[in-house]
Amino acid sequence: MLRYTKLYWYFVIQRFKILMEYRLNFFIGSISTVLFQGASLVALWAVLRQVPSIQGWTFEQILLIYGLLTLSKGINHLFADNLWVVGRDYIRPGQFDRFLVRPINPLFHLLADRICHDAIGDFIVGLSLVSYAMVQLQLPINLTSIGFIILMVISGGVIFIALNLITAATSFWIMDSIAVTNVVFHTNEFAQYPLTFYHRSIGMVLTWLIPYGFASYYPASYLLGHEIGWMAWLAPVVALVCITIAYKGWLLGLRNYGSTGS
Amino acid sequence: MPIIDVRNLGKTYRTIEKEGGVKGAVKALFRPQYREKVAVHDLNFQIDAGEIVGYIGVNGAGKSTTIKMLTGILYPTTGSISVLGHDPQRERVANARNIGVVFGQRSQLWWDLALIESLNLVANIYEVEPSRYKQLLSHFAEVLELDEILKTPIRSMSLGQKMRAELAATFIHEPKVVYLDEPTIGLDVMVKQRIREFIKDYNQTHNTTVMLTTHDLGDIEQLCSRVIIIDAGSKVYDGPLNAIKQQFGKFRTITFETNQPIVSVNLPPACEQLNLSEFSLEVRFDRSQISASQVANAVMQQLDVADFTLNEPDLESIIKHLYQNPTAYNEVGARG
Repeated sequence: MLRYTKLYWYFVIQRFKILMEYRLNFFIGSISTVLFQGASLVALWAVLRQVPSIQGWTFEQILLIYGLLTLSKGINHLFADNLWVVGRDYIRPGQFDRFLVRPINPLFHLLADRICHDAIGDFIVGLSLVSYAMVQLQLPINLTSIGFIILMVISGGVIFIALNLITAATSFWIMDSIAVTNVVFHTNEFAQYPLTFYHRSIGMVLTWLIPYGFASYYPASYLLGHEIGWMAWLAPVVALVCITIAYKGWLLGLRNYGSTGS
Repeated sequence: MPIIDVRNLGKTYRTIEKEGGVKGAVKALFRPQYREKVAVHDLNFQIDAGEIVGYIGVNGAGKSTTIKMLTGILYPTTGSISVLGHDPQRERVANARNIGVVFGQRSQLWWDLALIESLNLVANIYEVEPSRYKQLLSHFAEVLELDEILKTPIRSMSLGQKMRAELAATFIHEPKVVYLDEPTIGLDVMVKQRIREFIKDYNQTHNTTVMLTTHDLGDIEQLCSRVIIIDAGSKVYDGPLNAIKQQFGKFRTITFETNQPIVSVNLPPACEQLNLSEFSLEVRFDRSQISASQVANAVMQQLDVADFTLNEPDLESIIKHLYQNPTAYNEVGARG
């Protein structure tokens, strides 16, 4: 574990050196994430300023959900962005082979190969939204609530990573998994709002099948003192189950890996 | 005990058979017709410490598939592999510590990083002891002439520079077994020579076991004492390089240049006329039955010969002959 931590840090430093070589890229990446998030927020605000609340949810309460989800997404963006392109950039051109002949876990190698600094944008937006919402809603900001949020963001991040991992593993069969990952990943947009907005079935899917709800709706409900909030405590368990299943799927994919010719 | 022990190794790929056109593509999507392709079939061989083995065969014969199974990249369909006592798939990490791999067609280094940064990273991954790393780095910098490219990112290197960089990265953790998949592909003569010398020297000083696939028979002649030939996924020859040469080396050719146009010539027995043009004649003969001087005498009695050359058979023509005549493998007494 210590070895992997040290090695990870070493990869990060190398990545940073590359980024410094492409400085413009570095800034464009971070800024574009902020702009992207900003645009969705403006749209949300444009809708919600017309009405004081939807089904009893105020603008600030929805911002809290939105902010928590953004932070979880940021974890995935920062640590596991390479899962998106494992098929296109590694398996198809035959670059994946080198991960398999080195004395470290191939998945670790893949993830460490490119940490994604663009995630800074997610963290800036997410943190601002959560703090703003908590202050406006006069929710207590203390060690307990901060600890709770950290636990939830990590669990949510792991859920995001797990879902991207299991869809990325399809690359071993179909070469390029971007489309599959896209379909599953974008259902997270439902989780930007209270699950009660939707038909029951959608709420069920986002809780038990593609459990992004644990990254946003349930922790926010807990902070707001809603009855359903107790579900938030399931988030770490759900995260653990998801990542275990996803890793098993990944290993199955590795067994099926066919490499490329020559 | 052999370093590499391969028993009954087989690999079958399952591919989807597609008919042409959009209709075919749609059909393949909903009702895929699978086709099994046997890439490697019932392969057996053992390689001892310090051996440099040439693993050759035509394109698509199964060379790369074998190397990929040996290195742990692909899972075999049947059979077993043991490399220094490790199963390359189940004990991937333990095996990876012992081996080094060069794929001539693709890089294992980081495209955007300077070579020295890439090497540092590799050394970190393999946990090379820092003082040892320093020692090796300065040694490699000297023999592979890396000094002028240490600060260059891989993306701006020439093919020859890239391959030297690859070799340094492959040997930096002092692997006990090295797999080289076409290490000299596309390189100029000078770089080829330097790379061969590097491999040979490393093998002699470290007693490293080397398995080499190549289409360049110069690599084989200069490096390998043993050759395994694979054809259509099966081993067809496994033995010393000399045995191939001796068996097929019993044929030699003599080329005669004449002053006068050649009208006709009667050759002694055990001779065969290969090429005949106005002023030149090439004769192949079995040297176990007739000597070169006998052939030369017989021809010179009939023709006004200005010059003649005696040609030793080269490995290339032998291997070409073998590839084209699969039954000829039996003549060299395939082992295994």
